Amino acid sequence: MSPSAAAVLGLLAMAGVSLGAGMFARRFAHTTSDFMVAARAVPPRLNAAAISGEYLSAASFLGVAGLVMQYGYDVLWYPVGYAAGYLLLLLFIAGPLRRFGAYTIPDFAEGRFDSPRFRQLAVGLVLVIGFFYALPQVEAAGITVETASGLPYWVGVAVVSVVVVAAVTGGGMRGITLVQSLQFAAKIFAISLPAFLLLLHFGGPGAAFARTAGDLARLPTKVSYTVARGEIWQLPARTEIRVSRPTPVEWTSQPAVRSPGAVTAEISGGAPGPGVAASGNRGVVVVSSRMAFPKGTLVFEAPGQVTLGAGEPAPFGAATPTSTNRAWADPFGPLAGGSGHSLLFTYSLILAILLGTIGLPHILVRFYTNPDARASRRTALLVLVLLGAFYIWPPVYGALGRALDPALYGSNLTDSVVLVLPSLLGGWLGQLLLAVVSAGAFAAFTSTLSGLLVSLAGALGHDLYGRWWRPAASASARRRAFQVAAVVAGAGAGGLGLLVGQFNISVLVGWAFAIAASSFFPLLVLGIWWPRLTTAGAAVGVAAGGLLSTLAIGTTMVATVVPPLELFLARQSGLAVVLEQPAIVTVPLAFLAMVGISWWRPGPPALAAAKMVQLHAPELLGLRRDYIPE
Amino acid sequence: MANPDPSWGAVRDRGPEPQASRLLEFEEQTAVGTLYLQALMRRQLRLSLTLAFIFVAYLFAQPLLSTWFPQWATVRVLGVPLPWLVLGVGSYPILIWLGSIYVRRAEEVDDEFTDLLS
Repeated sequence: MSPSAAAVLGLLAMAGVSLGAGMFARRFAHTTSDFMVAARAVPPRLNAAAISGEYLSAASFLGVAGLVMQYGYDVLWYPVGYAAGYLLLLLFIAGPLRRFGAYTIPDFAEGRFDSPRFRQLAVGLVLVIGFFYALPQVEAAGITVETASGLPYWVGVAVVSVVVVAAVTGGGMRGITLVQSLQFAAKIFAISLPAFLLLLHFGGPGAAFARTAGDLARLPTKVSYTVARGEIWQLPARTEIRVSRPTPVEWTSQPAVRSPGAVTAEISGGAPGPGVAASGNRGVVVVSSRMAFPKGTLVFEAPGQVTLGAGEPAPFGAATPTSTNRAWADPFGPLAGGSGHSLLFTYSLILAILLGTIGLPHILVRFYTNPDARASRRTALLVLVLLGAFYIWPPVYGALGRALDPALYGSNLTDSVVLVLPSLLGGWLGQLLLAVVSAGAFAAFTSTLSGLLVSLAGALGHDLYGRWWRPAASASARRRAFQVAAVVAGAGAGGLGLLVGQFNISVLVGWAFAIAASSFFPLLVLGIWWPRLTTAGAAVGVAAGGLLSTLAIGTTMVATVVPPLELFLARQSGLAVVLEQPAIVTVPLAFLAMVGISWWRPGPPALAAAKMVQLHAPELLGLRRDYIPE
Repeated sequence: MANPDPSWGAVRDRGPEPQASRLLEFEEQTAVGTLYLQALMRRQLRLSLTLAFIFVAYLFAQPLLSTWFPQWATVRVLGVPLPWLVLGVGSYPILIWLGSIYVRRAEEVDDEFTDLLS
């Protein structure tokens, strides 16, 4: 995609608005309470917009559409699960936790069990999950700026890090609340308007599916690709390619992608032959001007310009398994069906997304900015409405992308489908909409990143500094520590973001959800609703769930670079599914550990009863105490 | 509250002690106070679990449907496959509906409890 002045203008406008609102709100932020919980006086409507603004990350704005385009129906579990997580949060957590008056998950862990050591464990996990979640946001920033303006990847990473750190250190939570609610407005406008106009122009919601009625996704127009040396194409059927100058390529009948998580070029068997025979399984050939290849995998041995005519089957890059239109549109397509254990995979995925939301460290903090439990519940309900209004749209881009621009598969650019489609409308309208979606994407990663930064800076400043290093520090010193911690965390996330160039945005996010679902979710649910949960039980459960899910995911990551392990997992497909989507095993295990150990060694009942009063007694009884003094 | 829910009965019938002492008891977690709180928690939890179960059943039924009746994917409404609509569009009104039931009922339970003690 070519650089666009309109897109750059959109990005700059959003950066300006975000910074301006942060600076404006700075005037009102004076106390620690202002900084961390916006003085607990945010009305539900504003708070709901801010929560939704913060929650709708790059994974929601860009990633879901890209994944729907790649894998089809199975991906719909992501947006539905992201929204449904808030229903569970509303049902089990929002009211009691607000009453409890703790500010973060570590505050809850310590306050519920009167155990400072448990707090350390929770702080450690907050940092792990927070960084897992921050990296894809930073990465998305780099990709968006690169796609929209043609500037290098690091420019986007740097700009976003600076904007976010400035907004967080400037206004703290109070500033962020205003900025994030504005960013929600920007995002819902930016996702819905272009989608609506695209649907109008290309003929209603059924049009995308009508255009993908054939067996294969075929290119609607002639497409020119710039390929790099070593670039891999999977050809779903016989494909004719044209080159501008002689280009050596290697062809094999083997598929290149084995599982959705692992990206491997698997070329094996036979000696290199002089040409490609239709029946052979491997060969190297120099394409002089044009040549047709049968279904299989193509590796370019030299960089060049490759052109495919209109009506040719769209080639798939190495990042996505090839799929027919039918497999893409039906349940258990290339995402869930690839493993041979579709039901297991699907249920585990649903669990991780549904339960993980509650355990994300930056989500709960927001509920403490409500004045009381009643406002907290109403806020959560409004969030459900706002999220529902948003999440209907990303799959529209995914489906339209498959129908209108399947060329994105070959260049591995499906993650940018939201940024690419609006320009199909052409002319000034296309350019205008391009500016709008670019601004929306910018709002998406900056708002989530600022929320995470408040959490990470809270954990670093409030915990490491305020409780261990300098417990006697004054309020203004604490505030300064919060600001310094925000700069440190922002620089850290930005620096790591430069390193993780090539991970799939939604895969990283999915892992953060799986770890959160297996550790913090059981802690919160049992801690709030089960008086007999003991410190030891909770700590062992959190540690076991967190460690096992991290190990499982780590094994999946390592397997992509260690062939013997990958081969082993390819044979043990059930095990591979559980390692890739561990929630279905690790969540029940964490619950079992907590319940089992609490039964085995019961704790003092009087203490737990006092905590239950704090959590569940309505505020009107006047029994409440807040954790952070005003 | 003119006519509180009958399931408070077990707690309400605990005797004619004055209201102020009920609140005091409650705050000091005596056996009776604990009983009040357990009744409140049980009612809130039952409400939450019921609503959560409805939505989880709605979600979990869909993969089973796709396993046992894969033909449902061939049904199209306005040109869009039915599974896409049921999951990608239909989920959100249900979420909002369940959420609004919860907010209304949970506030009622809290109010009844407050009335009982004050």
